[in-house]
Amino acid sequence: MATVWRSQCAFTRFFIGKIAQIPNNSSDLGTKLSLGPLSVPWVSRNYSNYAHSPFVSKVKEQYEFDVVKNPPEWAYVERLLPFDTIPAVSPKEKYPSGWIPPREEARNLPFFVSRTKNHELPIYLNVTFRGMRKITQIRKIDGDIWLLNDEIKAYLKEAAKRYVETRVHELGKFIEVKGDYVNVLRDWAYIKGF
Amino acid sequence: MTSFLINAFKRLHLSIVPNRIISSGYATAVTTSADAISVTQKEWKFPPVYTKPREVWIESLATVEEIKLGLFELHPLVYAAVPRIDIIHRNVVWQKKYRWVSWAQTKTRAEVRGGGRKPWPQKGLGRARHGSIRSPLWRGGGIAHGPRSGKTHFFMLPFHLRIHGLTSTLSAKLAQDDLHIVKDLEIPSDEPEYLIDLIENRNWGPSVLIVDDTDIAPRNITVATETLPHVNIMPVYGLNVYSMLKHDTLLLTLSAAEKIEERILHHLHSITNEQQAEFKLNQI
Amino acid sequence: MGSRQITEKSLSMIRSLPRISLGNIRDNPGSKITQKRGRGQHRGDKHGAGNKGSGQRQNYMRLGYETGNNPFYLRVPSEPYYRGHHHRRQYPPLSLLELQSLIDKDRLDVTKPIDIASIIKSGLYNMFPDQKQFGIHLTDEGLDIFAAKINIEVQWASEQVIAAIEKNGGVITTAYYDPHSLFLLKNPKKFFETGQAIPRRMIPPPDVIEYYTNPKTRGYLADPEKISHERLRLAQKYGYELPELENDVSYNMLIERKDPRQIFFGLEPGWVINLKDKCILKPRDEELLRFYSS
Repeated sequence: MATVWRSQCAFTRFFIGKIAQIPNNSSDLGTKLSLGPLSVPWVSRNYSNYAHSPFVSKVKEQYEFDVVKNPPEWAYVERLLPFDTIPAVSPKEKYPSGWIPPREEARNLPFFVSRTKNHELPIYLNVTFRGMRKITQIRKIDGDIWLLNDEIKAYLKEAAKRYVETRVHELGKFIEVKGDYVNVLRDWAYIKGF
Repeated sequence: MTSFLINAFKRLHLSIVPNRIISSGYATAVTTSADAISVTQKEWKFPPVYTKPREVWIESLATVEEIKLGLFELHPLVYAAVPRIDIIHRNVVWQKKYRWVSWAQTKTRAEVRGGGRKPWPQKGLGRARHGSIRSPLWRGGGIAHGPRSGKTHFFMLPFHLRIHGLTSTLSAKLAQDDLHIVKDLEIPSDEPEYLIDLIENRNWGPSVLIVDDTDIAPRNITVATETLPHVNIMPVYGLNVYSMLKHDTLLLTLSAAEKIEERILHHLHSITNEQQAEFKLNQI
Repeated sequence: MGSRQITEKSLSMIRSLPRISLGNIRDNPGSKITQKRGRGQHRGDKHGAGNKGSGQRQNYMRLGYETGNNPFYLRVPSEPYYRGHHHRRQYPPLSLLELQSLIDKDRLDVTKPIDIASIIKSGLYNMFPDQKQFGIHLTDEGLDIFAAKINIEVQWASEQVIAAIEKNGGVITTAYYDPHSLFLLKNPKKFFETGQAIPRRMIPPPDVIEYYTNPKTRGYLADPEKISHERLRLAQKYGYELPELENDVSYNMLIERKDPRQIFFGLEPGWVINLKDKCILKPRDEELLRFYSS
């Protein structure tokens, strides 16, 4: 229904409303210059392209609308609106995706790993030098980070059956473990209840 | 072995239903003891998990001497974060730079007056060849690669660094006893001397930044601070790292402290994909 | 806890230090490296640019150019199966495992029908309609663990994925959205705030009409009778018992579908949503009603 301007029939605009002045070969202009009620779409004719369709002569300025206050459909609108904050996870029977909620007992430990705002464990794998160096990082550590480091080292030594190098960044509140131990450390964190 | 343990815990968990306290908004329960000191126990939407909440005294500006009206809890994620000096520094640098437009300007050889004529012929004089007396090689000539005016130094610090800058500064201020919480901003007189006395008496250092929840502060304190260039009032949405460091003491009203806490906790616990996206100049 | 508490430790250390002010803060040492031109033995001489030629003049030849030779990329015959790859429709993947974890963490509400809008709303999946991405391709990773009864609408799904969802008593539909509708679904709030009327969804282009009218792929234009027949056939093929929809407690939710011309669940084309006053403007004009009717 929009007014369409195409360069190939640009000059036809000047002929609208001046039918008498148009020479006999007006069909060559590529536009049908009738001035009927063109805003009515259902008496439709398929024009081969926009340029060949006629200009809209009569556009209705105002259409009639029902304004419905507190409509029953508002529930459908509300479900489309974004979350205000990330929702807390409600307790469920089981979590098939393998995600495990944090447990209350973990808060009594001398160290703590808090969850991210997405309720995930903050354990990541940093890959550098085109995959030649893999470093597992545990972030968001609170409490006694050195004790946590000792525990991780002992646990990894048993799990990987070799000595595993770690590095503690106290101010950054994270520990880096040399090698890809994301799954092992995630299991450990779940056991601890973080 | 490990998988066995995990399965055991998964099975264990079925019987344990986490006891979550989910309260809507910031309901505060006030318990008043005999000697009229109120101790506020807060229920947060995002309660502190491991770190204990910070307790601060609620003070009053009604007298020159310090009176303690009660105790107030502050969320550790906001008021007891690790004070990262480097992040504070980056915030300060950002605040200085984003509004800095450098107007330094030098003239190029095209802009210096004259110099259109070849000073002497190319050959035959035994002199060095030159095409213009305003070449950068000449004394009084144009400047090559000099500063050009209207250069902006605008950039945007990543969203979470801005948040972390605020929490770091608030935590550092609180840890250094430079953050004080008052019930409201009512003072008995509109004399600036009263405020000077009060600041002197409480050892708040000369400069004080007062932050309130509302845009319109009470009349007395507005009049009293008007002639004091080192005591400033700011609405809560204007709080920033630079101003907090510029002033010796930060004075928050109760409602301002809660509002700051609520906004920062909201950003720390919401989906921030939009804020973290690359800053575009036409985003309004 | 005590003195080994990280945060407590740093805050108590800062207590005994001078007041932090604009004059005594600095960045971490070594965090900013200023570029300098080295002299002599410190990377002097050619400054790392090599001797003569394009390396020194920073004038690199365009990729594939072989200084006048007939280049390799023109010398060998072309590979026709990548022709027009940049015009093809893309469907960024979402695996069943990811979908299950969204459901587990309450990012998706299984009591309501799931479509692109609700998946993008979760914040953990994103899609860019301007980069020729046309919706979600539900992939089969996590097929065995998937255990949710959902009514989901995606844009592309394989037979196994359809079987995995129907096995759990759920319903899946594949539906086409034109890029304009996808922009609305990606950020409905932004669209409602513009105050425009919800447009109609476009019909699929000719090459995917077959996919979306096929009951085997659970196309949204397929005959419902044939779809229920295909559901039974798939259950027999993969050997599971098809849960009966009619006896389900959430039957009403499971049979909820969009009209082929509808973009949002429950909101018809032509409506204007006013978020501020919480009201909906529904057209009454005969002309508009006829335009927006499907």
